[in-house]
This record gives sequence, structure tokens and C-alpha cells, in this order.
Amino acid sequence: MRKIWAIARNDLRIIFREKDIWINLIVIPVILSFVIGYANGAGRVASAPEAPDVIIDVIDGDGSATSQEFLAALRAANPNFVLCPADNDDGDRCELGGAAFDAALAETRLRDQTALALLDIPAGFGTDLAAGQNVEIIYRSNENATAPSFILQAVQVSVQRLGASIVAERVGTAAALTAPGLTLDEGEQAALKSDIRSRASDLLAAQSSYVNEVVSETAGTQTNPGSGGFSQSTPGMASMYVMFAVFPAAVAFMTERQQGTLQRLVTMPITRWQLLGGKLLARFLLGMLQYSIVFAFGYLVLGVRFGNDPLALLLTMIVFTLCITALTLALATLLRSEAQASAVTLLLTLTLAPLGGAWWPLEIVPDWMRTLGHVSPVAWAMDSYTSLIFYNGSLATVLPYIGVLAGMAAVCFAFGVARFRIE
Amino acid sequence: MQNGKNGTLVEVRDLAKTFKGKNGKDVAAVKGVSLDIRQGEIFSLLGPNGAGKTTTISMISGLLAPTRGDARIGGYSITRQGIDAKKLIGVVPQEIALYPTLTARQNLEFFGRMYSMGGAELTKRVDEVLDFIDLTDRQHDKIETFSGGMKRRVNIGVGLLHKPRLLYMDEPTVGIDPQNRRRVLDTVKRLQSEQGMTVLYTSHLMEEVQEISDRIAIIDHGQIIAGGTLGELIQQIGEEDRIFLKVGAAAISEAQLAQLRRSVEGVTKATHDRREIKGEDDAVVDVDGVITVLAKRGRKALPPLLQAAEEADITVLSVEVREPDLEAVFLHLTGRALRD
Ligand SMILES: Nc1ncnc2c1ncn2[C@@H]1O[C@H](COP(=O)(O)OP(=O)(O)O)[C@@H](O)[C@H]1O
Ligand SMILES: [Mg+2]
Repeated sequence: MRKIWAIARNDLRIIFREKDIWINLIVIPVILSFVIGYANGAGRVASAPEAPDVIIDVIDGDGSATSQEFLAALRAANPNFVLCPADNDDGDRCELGGAAFDAALAETRLRDQTALALLDIPAGFGTDLAAGQNVEIIYRSNENATAPSFILQAVQVSVQRLGASIVAERVGTAAALTAPGLTLDEGEQAALKSDIRSRASDLLAAQSSYVNEVVSETAGTQTNPGSGGFSQSTPGMASMYVMFAVFPAAVAFMTERQQGTLQRLVTMPITRWQLLGGKLLARFLLGMLQYSIVFAFGYLVLGVRFGNDPLALLLTMIVFTLCITALTLALATLLRSEAQASAVTLLLTLTLAPLGGAWWPLEIVPDWMRTLGHVSPVAWAMDSYTSLIFYNGSLATVLPYIGVLAGMAAVCFAFGVARFRIE
Repeated sequence: MQNGKNGTLVEVRDLAKTFKGKNGKDVAAVKGVSLDIRQGEIFSLLGPNGAGKTTTISMISGLLAPTRGDARIGGYSITRQGIDAKKLIGVVPQEIALYPTLTARQNLEFFGRMYSMGGAELTKRVDEVLDFIDLTDRQHDKIETFSGGMKRRVNIGVGLLHKPRLLYMDEPTVGIDPQNRRRVLDTVKRLQSEQGMTVLYTSHLMEEVQEISDRIAIIDHGQIIAGGTLGELIQQIGEEDRIFLKVGAAAISEAQLAQLRRSVEGVTKATHDRREIKGEDDAVVDVDGVITVLAKRGRKALPPLLQAAEEADITVLSVEVREPDLEAVFLHLTGRALRD
């Protein structure tokens, strides 16, 4: 371990001897985060953007207290939900433009994606539910659209919650009635019923943290791309510059081979693991430093807020940097000369970064490109940052992205280690 | 640690390396080399460029995996117990292998850590090495600001850091001026006499090998073609002297050479080399022709040889007689000069 650390420290020392290192590490990425962020709309909106409205049209054919209760639960599940037309205000949040809301208009709004989903609550919803019968809410979303399944999940959760409170009411009342020595008149029974139900409903709502997580998970799909500004450009440029910082390790391997120091190290009593470990550790640390610099600038100067889960943020930074480090090792085994290595790594950075959404949000590109973009580790990192920064995501919600990045890192690492030769 | 019999520190057995060439053709760089290097001796591997010296050293220092064969260093197999074997070896590579943007001291300290040195021990040892290579006053300067000779000294210093029992030096005098070359040779001798170090030294220069070596192996085309002390090697060729007859631009026919061989007793070989001396614009300004004659007791053979030359219609411009040396051994064994 001491030798690994000695190798890493030596490499870092060499790296920091390079002229321009501070320009590449600080000046350019910081300027780019600002410029790209500005271009992406930071000048137009507040630098810490609010999460956008999610418009959901509701045709309430029941109009009962129960359907109102259900809609209230749905609102509580995600504060960004705007249930239309009920929630419209003077600012026309529902984007109705003064038109009267009806089934036909709802159909149009769903197709042109003004509304992301349409809920149709049938007549008799409340009475059927109270009677313990199956109820059906028709949920529709535009499949072509960014079709956020988090809406469906919120709907399901709200329905379940409503159902659960009704079950609680029935079970509780039945239990009370069969309890020995307890007699209730009609009025008392009714009071008990509504009491149990409201308590159950409160209790279920109190578990909202679970629901909120589900809701924010797929929130990478937003109705208002481009409002990201600095919150988009900061993680984007930081991730790109992590690549700029780490990829040159592939060139450095060639340089060391050419200047003979790599061969010299091999004649010394160190293992292959110590040698590779030390070299990769140096670049990994440099990558993390790069992230820290740009994020610190984003936080202190551009006012970017990174969400509420620092652990998730840190883990995303770590796995992305690891992934790029492992990719560098794999590349180093494939490239033949310093010139080739410089060219390929530059090209790769300038492809993977925009492809993965480091320059602009992936929401504004066509579907096929977004899908293709996810070959780039940058896309997975950006998914994670977007979730954390814009939607208050937590470790649980970004774990899938972190997992993919860790998987990519493992594959590249295994490939690189298997192929790496000093000779 | 165990040593082989008779204090043998390095045992090389049937070591071979075949490179995969670019055009798919295999290059057999080393074809079955066996050597024994004894504790405390300076052992030289002498051979022309491309003979396989560096490849051999690379294999016995654990840098290249042999295609065949193995070497034991202090009893440890370099292929199977690499880490243990490497602890005993200090390597001075043929090319400078240092970090140019770091200072001499930083280079030494870093490589010292690779031998598990640290703290005060490392500081002290680096001081000693800097003193030994006479660079204490330049220790805080970057390597890239050093002259070739100074770089060479640091390159050697790195190999000495952990006081190895065995030092490999691969052509350490290539590309430096005579003064620094002298210094390197003296260093090698001092390491042996003052520190009891065993040295494996490679070179294509017979003068320096002749000067410093206890024993010598001559390598050519990846094979050891002769080995022993200087005396033993010279005996092998029957102590022939070499006589050089300068003939200038004159054309010499095979028949004339045959006549020389035939008519003088004791002559075993007569060859003619022509070398064009080019000036600016690659124009040939002169031609230097030399007839090399191998003869026992060259001084006695000289008068009849000059007579025979005259009879064969060869105009001799000047004459030089050389006693047997490694150059002669190599010429005798391969029919080629070492310097080609
Ligand atoms: N990595 C390599 N790939 C292919 N051929 C090589 C390689 N290294 C050395 N050779 C060839 O092997 C032969 C021996 O080279 P080398 O050991 O460097 O000789 P020396 O050190 O005696 O000058 C040469 O013909 C050289 O071209
Ligand atoms: Mg060589």
C-alpha cells in the first residue's frame, strides 16, 4: 500500500509540474460552466430553478368526497402536480388559455403533451369503494411523450392509500362492534367510522417519504428543459473536465514507456497491481479534484445547489471518475503511440461529453439520440446529477445510475488489466 | 538466500527470446544463452549492436518474460520468484530512465521507495548516492537541465540506491564524452573493490571490457560464441597478431589476397575493406582501403608480407601491427569487425 501511494504521489507531482495544469484544471472548466450555463438559459431563470409543473388533466365523473380525497392524496404525493382544471389559477398554470375544459379538449391536450397524463374517475367511484368493490380509474399518458411513469406510480399509491384507509375503517368498525361489552348507537358508529378513516389516512400520508422517492425517480424527464442553466452546465462541464484530467493517463503510460521509467519500475520489487494501482490512483484523485473545483465554483459563485443527499452526490462523482479511470486503462492497452493516444482521447472526450448530455440536457434531443447517448458514462452521471439537483433525488433513486457506472468501470478495468503489458 | 556452487550469484540457463516482428516474421533476439556470474566479479557481455545484450539483461531483470529458459539470482528464479530476485538487483538501463521534470533528489527518493526505503534511512541513503555520483550540489535541479553525462550518473545512482549485491549496467558509456566515460569505468571498479558488488556489464567497446572485466562472454546474433578471462579468450585464437596494410583507393582483387595468404608462412587470413570518406554533399573525397592480415608472430611475418605485397602489385601506404585483443578474438570467431 505504501508503494502504491508513493507511485500515486510521484505521478501527481509530475502532473502538477506540467505547465498549464491550473489553466486546464480551474480556468477553462470554470469559464465553460459559466458560458454554457448561460447559454442553456441560466440568464433567463433563477439560478436555482424551481422544479417544473407537471400538468395532469382530471375528468372527475364522480365528484364525490372520496374522489376529492383521492385527488388530495395525489397532490400530496408530489407538490409539482397540477391537477387540471381544478388547480388552475390566475397565471393559467393549467395552460388552458381560457378554453372550457371537457373530454375532447383533454384528449387534444394529452396528444400535444400539454398534459402529461389524463385521469378519468368514473361515476360511482366513491360508493363502489365504500362498498368494498373494485374501482377503476382510467389512467392514460402519451406513450411517445417522455411519459413519466412517476405519475402512474403516484396515482397507484394514492389509490392504494385511499383503499387502505377504507379497509382500515371497515376492519376497525367491525372489530369495535364485536368487542364484548361495547354497544354503540348509530351516531356513535358513524363517528367511529370517520374517525378511523381519517386517522388511517393521516397515518398513510405520514409515510409520504416513500411516495416522494418514487415520484422523483424518473423526474429526469421534465417539461421545461433548458431551464437548467448553471445547474445543468456545472455537472456537465465538471464531468467533461474529469475526462480531460483523467484520459491523459493513457498518454502518460506511453510517455513513461518511451522515457524508460515504466520499464525501470518493472525491474524493481513491486507487483503489477501496485504499479497499476498507483498510476490509476493518481489519476482518480486528479479527477476528484477536478470535480471538487468545478462544483465548488458552481456552489459558491453560480449558486448551484446539489440537492439534499451529499452521499449520493459523492458516490456519483466517485463512480464516474472510477469509470473514466478504468476506461483510460483499457484505452492505454489499445493505443500504440503518444500522438495516437492524444488524438483518440481528445476525440473521445468531445464525443462522450455532448452525447451524454454534458453540453445540453438530453431532454432536448431526439429519442434515438438520448438512447444512444447512454452508451456514454456521462449520460448516467448526468441522470444522477439531474435527479439530485433538480428533483431532490436520494441515494435510493440514483442507485441505478451509480450501478450502471460501476458496471462500466468493472468491465473496462477487467479488460485493461487482462490486456496490459509493459513490454 | 542461497548461492550456487563456487559462489555463483547468477545462473542463466538456456535463455531465449523471440519477438513477434511487425510484418509477422519472428525475430529470434536471444537464442539459448547460458551464463554463470560469480559473487564479486565484474562480468562483461561483449557484442556488437543488435547482438542481444539488452534483451538478455531485460530477461534476467524481470522486464521481459523469456520465451524459454530461466535465470536464478541468488537462488531465486526470476520468472517464478520475481519480487525476491529483484530485491537483489540494481539495474542501470542502457537508455536514461528518469523523470525529466523532477529533480535528481526527487527521482532518487521515489525509486528508493520502490525498494521499501523511507524516512531517515532513505534521506541518508540518497545523500550518500548523491555524494557518490558527485551531484550533491545539483540535487535540487531538474533532470531535464542536466548534461548527458550528469543524467548518466543519476541513472547509475538509481541502480545503487538499495545497495544491491548485483548491479546490471547496460552500455553505460554510450553517448558520453571521454571524461565522463572514464568516470563511469572508475565507478564500476570502485563499486567492486569498495563495496564488493557483483557487476554485469555490457558493451560493444572492447577496450573498456578489456580494462575492467574479470570474465567476459562474447555474444553475437543472440548466442554466446566464447567465454572466459581475457587471457583464455586470446589463447583460443592462438594469439594471432593483426597486421593492417593501408592501401588507399587501390582496387584489390581476391587473387591478390590469395597470393598474400599463400606466400607468407603463418598467415591465416587476409581480407580487404574499403571505406569511402564522404565530404559535404555526400561527395566521395577519399577512399580508405585496408587489408587486414591475421598472422602468428606478426612482427616476424611483416618483412615477407611486404615483399609479397610488392610481388602481388599492391602498393602499401602504411603499416600497423596489433597484438591480439578482443577485437581480434571477435574477428577470428565471426570474420567481422566488432564495430560494424
Ligand atoms: N521489442 C522488440 N521487438 C522486436 N525486435 C526486437 C525488440 N527488441 C530487440 N529486438 C531485436 O532483437 C535483437 C537484439 O536487440 P538488443 O538486445 O537490443 O541488442 P543489443 O542490446 O545487443 O544491441 C535486435 O535485432 C533487435 O532489433
Ligand atoms: Mg542494447
